[in-house]
Amino acid sequence: MNTRFLICAGSMTAFLALAGCASSPGESIYVPIGGDAPRAPEPPRTTSEPEEPRVWRKSEQPETSEPVESSPRSTSPSYRDSGESLSPAALSLIREADGLLARGDAPAAIARLERAQRIAPRSAEVYFKLSEAYVASNQLGAAEQFTLKGLSLAGNDAQMQRAGWLLLADIRRARGNVAGADQAEERAAAL
Amino acid sequence: MPSRVYARPLELYDGAGISSGALERELQLSGFRKGDGNRAGTYRRSGGHFVISTRGFRFPDGSESKRRLALNIYGDRVQDFSVLNGEASPIVRLEPAQIGGIYPSHKEDRILVQLEEVPALLPATLMAVEDRNFYDHFGIAPLSIARAMLANIRAGQIVQGGSTLTQQLVKNFFLTRDQTLLRKGNEALMSILLELHYEKGDILETYLNEVYLGQAGTRSINGFGLASQFYFGESLKDLDVHQVALLVGMVKGPSYYNPRRHPDRATERRNLVISEMEEAGLIDSVRAARARGLPLGVSGKPSYSENRYPAYIDLVRRHLARDYREEDLRSEGLRIFTTLNPSIQYAAEYAVTDTLPRLASGETRKALEAALVVTAKDSGEVLALVGGRDPQFAGFNRALDANRPIGSLIKPFIYLSALEQPERYTLITPVLDKSFVLEFDDGRRWEPKNYDTKERGEVPLHEALSHSYNLPAVRVGLDIGVDVVKETLQEFGVTSSISEYPSMLLGSVSMNPVTVAQMYQGLATSGFNTPLRTIREVTDSGGEALSRYSLEVDQVADPAAVHLVQYAMQETMQEGTGRSAYYTLPKELALAGKTGTTDDGRDSWFAGFSGDLLAVAWVGRDDNGPTSLTGASGALPVWSRFMARVPQHGLSPVVPDGVNYHWVNSERQALTDEYCDNARLVPLIAGSEPDQTVSCSGTLQRRIQGWFEGFFQ
Repeated sequence: MNTRFLICAGSMTAFLALAGCASSPGESIYVPIGGDAPRAPEPPRTTSEPEEPRVWRKSEQPETSEPVESSPRSTSPSYRDSGESLSPAALSLIREADGLLARGDAPAAIARLERAQRIAPRSAEVYFKLSEAYVASNQLGAAEQFTLKGLSLAGNDAQMQRAGWLLLADIRRARGNVAGADQAEERAAAL
Repeated sequence: MPSRVYARPLELYDGAGISSGALERELQLSGFRKGDGNRAGTYRRSGGHFVISTRGFRFPDGSESKRRLALNIYGDRVQDFSVLNGEASPIVRLEPAQIGGIYPSHKEDRILVQLEEVPALLPATLMAVEDRNFYDHFGIAPLSIARAMLANIRAGQIVQGGSTLTQQLVKNFFLTRDQTLLRKGNEALMSILLELHYEKGDILETYLNEVYLGQAGTRSINGFGLASQFYFGESLKDLDVHQVALLVGMVKGPSYYNPRRHPDRATERRNLVISEMEEAGLIDSVRAARARGLPLGVSGKPSYSENRYPAYIDLVRRHLARDYREEDLRSEGLRIFTTLNPSIQYAAEYAVTDTLPRLASGETRKALEAALVVTAKDSGEVLALVGGRDPQFAGFNRALDANRPIGSLIKPFIYLSALEQPERYTLITPVLDKSFVLEFDDGRRWEPKNYDTKERGEVPLHEALSHSYNLPAVRVGLDIGVDVVKETLQEFGVTSSISEYPSMLLGSVSMNPVTVAQMYQGLATSGFNTPLRTIREVTDSGGEALSRYSLEVDQVADPAAVHLVQYAMQETMQEGTGRSAYYTLPKELALAGKTGTTDDGRDSWFAGFSGDLLAVAWVGRDDNGPTSLTGASGALPVWSRFMARVPQHGLSPVVPDGVNYHWVNSERQALTDEYCDNARLVPLIAGSEPDQTVSCSGTLQRRIQGWFEGFFQ
C-alpha cells in the first residue's frame, strides 16, 4: 500500500510541477481599499536603483482614459468556471514542502503547505499537496477531506479534476471504502 | 516566566495584499524603528517604497534569517519584492509582534518585568525611599525603622516607611491588611523565611511585579509594569525621572496619592521622592530641579494592559485552556503563536468605534454595544475580534459571551437543507409568501408574520431568501422538517442546544457571534466545515514545539447546494436586504451576506463574506432592550465599514461539478433566452432544470437591443 502511495505521490508531484507552469487560470479580482482595481497606469518599476527618488515627467505618463463604468448589464452574482493558479511565493513553499516530504518529514511539510494555503487559499493544488502530506503521515481521513476540498476548487480543469479523483480513489481504497474508490475512479475516467 | 503571545507574522512576497499605511503600522508593532533601513530592526519608507532590515526570528517550523528587503506597495499590493542582503527567497516572514502575555493565575493581568530590563533608577529610588539596606538585611531591619523615623522627623512628614521591601512583599502577597500585632509577627517571620529561601534579586523582581499601585473598578493594579501602562500609557523602560518618582511615591498610598484624583498631593509626594533621589546621589541637582518642574504626565484615559487586544486574547486563552493547565501558562514561559492579523484588527476596531456613534439616537445610541468577528474564509483562522464598543476594555466579551437569538441568519440553512433535495427545491421553485396559523397540541397558536407585514403570494425561492421573507422560510422549513434544519446547523459546527420549536425557523435559537462565524464558515467555503482557530503553534521557552493546531476541513454539505445558497446570498447584497452595502463598497467585491433582526430590533446581525474574509457583526444593547435598528441599519454599516478598510479579493466561487448556469424566467419557472424579459442567469443542479421553455418571440426588438448592449460592453 505504501509503495502505491509513494508512486501516486510521485506522479502528483510531477503533475503539479507541470500544472504550476501551465497557462494560469488567473485569480479572483483583487480590490484595494477605496474600491475598483487600480485603473491608473502602474508607476515605472525601478529595480536597479530603488534608493533613488522617483522622477515623474508628465510627458512620459501614458494617457489615462476616463474610468469606464464596468458593472455588467445584469447584476448577476459572480462565479467562475476555473480554479485559481499558484503565485510564485506559494509555489516556492510547495517546493520546500516537496523536499521535506522526500526526506520523510511530513509534519514540517504540512506546516510549509499551510503557509502556502494561507497565501493561495483558492488553489486546488495546495489542497491536493496537503492530502499527499497527510497520506505520508498515514492520516487518511484528513487526506480524503483535503482531496475533496481541492476537487471543490478544481473547476473545469479536467487534468486537475482527474488527478484529484484518482488521488481520492487511492485514499478511499486504502481506507477500505471500495465502493467509494470505484466511484471516484469512474469520475476520473469520465473526464 | 509569563507566556508570550505573538500575532501572526506578516508574510511579504510579490502580490501580498497590504496598504502602505498598514505595513508601516505592522512594522512599528513588531518593534521596527524608522531609520536608515540598513541596521537590523529599522525600516525606511518613501511613499510606497520600503527598505526593511529584519532581525531574523526563530519560528517553530524553522528560522527566518536576518535580511535586508526592498519592496514597493502599489494598489495595496506588494510589488518588486527583493532580498538585498541575506539569503534569497521569494517570500519572507517578518518578526511577529508580541501582543501580550498570559498570567491566568491572577485575576488581574500583570505586565511582568524582569530585573535586568527595568531602568536601574527604579530599584535604586525604591530602595532610597523604602528600604535603604535592602541588600544587607535579612528580611527585617530594626535599624532602618529608626532611620526612617529620623528621616520623617527631618522632613516634617512621613517620607519613609519602616518595613523592608521583603516585609511589604509578604504583606502584599500572603496576608490580609488587618493591623494586628499577630499579623506583624507573622509578617516578620515570613520575611525572614523568604530571605532564607530566595536571592535578593528574586525578591526585588517579585516585589516590582506584585506591589499594589492602584485600583481600577474591581480590578487592582499590581506591579510597576502595569502601573506604568495604567498611569502613563507607556512602557516602564521608557519612563522619565519624574514618572519613576511618582510611581515609587505611590507605593506608600496608591489611593491617597492617586494622581488622577488628587494631583496636588501626588505632585507634592513626587517632588519629595525626587529630592530623596537627589540626596541619595541618583540624579544631579539640575535634573532634579528640572524633574520637579514637570507636570505629572499622567495619561488622560487609563490603559489597562499591554494586551492591546483583550477580546482576542480572551479567546486565545479559552482555546489554550483545552490543552494547557493554567499553572503551565503562567509559569512555563510558553510562546504562543496566534492567528491575529493586526491590520485586520485595526480595521475591525475602527469599524466598531466609528460606526456605533452614528447609529440610532438619544439614549439608545448611548446604550448600543457591538461585536465583530473576522476570520480567514478558507483557513478558519480568527484574524480579529472586537468584544464591545471600547475595544481596549478588557470586560464583557460580547463576541464570546453575548448569546442572542440569531433571527434571519438561520434562513440560509433552511434553504440549504431544502436545496440539498434538488428533486424538490431549486432556486426558482415558487414558495408561498402567505400567512398561516400553526396550532400546537396544547392549544397554543403561532402566527408568524413578515417584517413588513405584507404578503406577496408566490415568489421564487432565491427571492424569498435574498429579501428575507419570513413566511416562505417557515413554510419551507416545516416542509423539509425542523429536525433536518437542526441537523444542518449541527453539521455546520453548532454545538449549543437547538430547540425544535418551529419558531427556531425564524431564528429564536441563541448564539454568540463566534459561533455564528463558525456556522457561516461552511457556507463561505462551499460546504466544508473548518474549525475556527486562534493558535497556530505553542512552543516552550526554548522554542521547542509543544502543540500545533493544524488546518482541518470536513465536508458537511453538498458543494452544489451550497453554491446555490451563495448565489442567493450574493443576490441579497445586490437586490435584497443587504444592498445598502454597495452604497459604499465596490461592486467588484461581489459579496455574499445575510441580515438578521430580532423583535423590536433587540439584535441587529450581519454575516457575510468576500473572497478572502468572513465577518460577523452584532449590534444591540447589553440590557436586551429595543433599538429600532434592523440588521441592515445596525450591523450592516459596521460590517461594510470594516470591509471598506481592507484590501481583499472579490468573491467568485468556482462552479462545482453538477451545477450549470441557465437563463431562466423565474416567475414562470421556465428556461428562456438571455435577452428575454425577466431573464436571470441562475445556477441549477443537473437534473433539476425546468421542463418548460419560454421564448420571447414577441419582443424581438428587446433581444436585438440586448444583443447590441452586450456587444458594446
